[in-house]
Amino acid sequence: MPTEVIMPKVDMDMAKGKIMSWHIAEGERVSKGEPLFDIETDKAAMEVEAPADGILHHTASEGMDIPIGTPCAWLYAEGEEVGEQPAPFAGQAGAGAAPEPKQVEADVPVEAELELVDAIAGEATDKVRATPRARSLASGAGLNIADLIGTGPRGRVQALDVETEIALRDTRPAPLASPLVFKAETGSLAVTRSKGGTGTPIVMIHGFASDATSWSPMETHLKHRPLIRIDLPGHGKSPKLRIDSFADLVREVRRAFDDLNLDAAHLVGHSLGGAVSIALADTRAKRLSSLTLIAPAGLGPDINGNALSGICRATRAESLGPWLRSLVANEDIVTDSYVRLAMAGREDTNLRAAQSRLADALFPDGVQAFDLRAALERIDTPTRIIWGKQDAIIPWKHALRAPGKMALHLFDGVGHMPQIECSAELGRILSSNL
Amino acid sequence: MNMHSKTDLRELSYAEAIREAMDIAMARDERVILMGEDIGVYGGAFGVTGELVEKYGTDRVMDTPISELGGAGVAVGAAMTGLRPIFEFQFSDFATLGMEQIVNQAAKIRYMLGGAVSVPVVMRFPSGSGTGAAAQHSQSLEAWTAHVPGLKVVQPATPADAKGLLLAALEDPDPVMIYEHKILYKMKGHVPEGYYTTPIGKAAVMREGKDLTIIATSIMVHKALDAAQTLAAEGIDAEVIDLRTIRPMDRDTVLTSVRKTGRLVCVYEAVKTLGVGAEVSAMVAESDAFDYLDAPIIRLGGAECPIPYNPELEKAVVPQVPDILEAARNLAKGRV
Repeated sequence: MPTEVIMPKVDMDMAKGKIMSWHIAEGERVSKGEPLFDIETDKAAMEVEAPADGILHHTASEGMDIPIGTPCAWLYAEGEEVGEQPAPFAGQAGAGAAPEPKQVEADVPVEAELELVDAIAGEATDKVRATPRARSLASGAGLNIADLIGTGPRGRVQALDVETEIALRDTRPAPLASPLVFKAETGSLAVTRSKGGTGTPIVMIHGFASDATSWSPMETHLKHRPLIRIDLPGHGKSPKLRIDSFADLVREVRRAFDDLNLDAAHLVGHSLGGAVSIALADTRAKRLSSLTLIAPAGLGPDINGNALSGICRATRAESLGPWLRSLVANEDIVTDSYVRLAMAGREDTNLRAAQSRLADALFPDGVQAFDLRAALERIDTPTRIIWGKQDAIIPWKHALRAPGKMALHLFDGVGHMPQIECSAELGRILSSNL
Repeated sequence: MNMHSKTDLRELSYAEAIREAMDIAMARDERVILMGEDIGVYGGAFGVTGELVEKYGTDRVMDTPISELGGAGVAVGAAMTGLRPIFEFQFSDFATLGMEQIVNQAAKIRYMLGGAVSVPVVMRFPSGSGTGAAAQHSQSLEAWTAHVPGLKVVQPATPADAKGLLLAALEDPDPVMIYEHKILYKMKGHVPEGYYTTPIGKAAVMREGKDLTIIATSIMVHKALDAAQTLAAEGIDAEVIDLRTIRPMDRDTVLTSVRKTGRLVCVYEAVKTLGVGAEVSAMVAESDAFDYLDAPIIRLGGAECPIPYNPELEKAVVPQVPDILEAARNLAKGRV
């Protein structure tokens, strides 16, 4: 089966992206990680890398708008037979709704495709009898109205039917996560470098269960500097290393940092990446011009263990969504398509296993098992701490345990993800003294 | 009524409450005059004006000739020149003869004269069925005037509101049409003493409930409240709203209730088609409250025929308590 090339979500409020240009021509070979195409959103232009090795086919034409989370091309394996385009591009048939590519049979003749999309869209809107209230309840609960059984007249789905389904879902025992088998890998951590920018680079370390792409919202605000992003072990493109303790984790990141061979750097760390940054600053003080800690771990025992294990355990967008929403103060910014995309990035079982294991090592029983306050006291690098006051993962009051020499920025109406929730303000803060 | 203190719990009939309102208004403001057919010595066809002519004399309580067009015209002219006339149409059905003055003059003059002149006339319309007066004396034509910008249209359902809305109408600088239900004239209820007004454009939540909303006007408010009591015994919690003013309509109260209950019945005595219920339904459908609807809206209104003389048929052509019960049960149980 060919690999879908998905239009990524690079802005929180992005619904679709425009294909600006393909780096690889139709029918040519591409390797995983190579620049594949450029997209433009309302706010930014960026390069998207190939998700896999393969031969490029069925590319969306340049200038076309493709809804996020839907395919814009397919990569075929060497020797794999190239048939018709597996699915029409979403949003091109006037139906608006992005049809699930899987619903369309691969052998549909091209001429029939548009009609088929219309038929699917028509089915979704016309054939389900449901009251307005049932529809709004269902969409609020992430349920597909078509999946519900209507008990009203002529099978109409009513509020009660949705409420019953929600109640059932809530009481249905969660499938016990089968113990994830973790297969340790070896290798060095993945590093992503931006193309532009001059002066002292900014090194960024993401948080638990996240990856380098979580810094994307900051990019436009910091494009005057070289940005270097490190993926933690078992995250993003880094190998799934065996990590048994916080010290293990720091050792790996320090090795990656040393390999960068920088004379000076501004270090920015979020959450678990913040804790790692404290440890790094404690031992690499001379090479750091500044330290920025965003909702860092390591300052107190409390952490939302349910959210950590919920994210690790989630195998479907439906179970991942609520936990992702708990990361932010305004749930609206975590759209369904964003959740689907995030889940797509977590489909690798070994990645989830690696993260589960890491969570168990670092946060046993939902407690932060490492205390970095002494290290923080020792740090003389100019340091600022940034926290959202509605952080539901690590309480912002941990910030009050930091020494007085450090600056503190608190944001009201912001949760655990200030770099996404108020990226422009963070950009200004990070630019101000760098 | 429940907003007044306990010491005010004095009962008057709806007709007495209207008379008291006119008496208070005339005593405090000599510009207030009464006009209409047989409202002087005879005391009004339904006895509403009573003996006011003896207290205020024939200069201020004027019998008008049997010409609705003429009487309404004089009232409109009197209002334009500074008086505060209250004009009674003997039966609201006869207001058809005065429509030129209501629709083309009273409603338009302020606009057509660029705001230089207003028409603070109050018109009273005894209306509705149930008196055995047949097709030409039993109609509910409030939607006719409610369709005309420039007019305000109220339908008091209780003695207290009959008094309060009349006094509010007199304070209003523009023409206000008051549709009084003839069957309600004898109905008793608590009426506060002294001067007070009931705001025009504000509905009243008569009974709070969570399962469905019944929006009613005039006499139907009482039928809806009766029905709500029966429904409560069956475990159905109905909210009953007395619309009170149909132009301008109290959008907020209606939409707030629909958002809460998700189910709506509109009940009114006038012919169902193109009436108040159509306006309420459309208002909900056009608003964000639409997303809260969990069932189709039901309208209960008068049948598509003239009001019959036969008393059984007369009852049959307008909504009754069992009709409201049936609609509410169907809605609450998800059967429609």
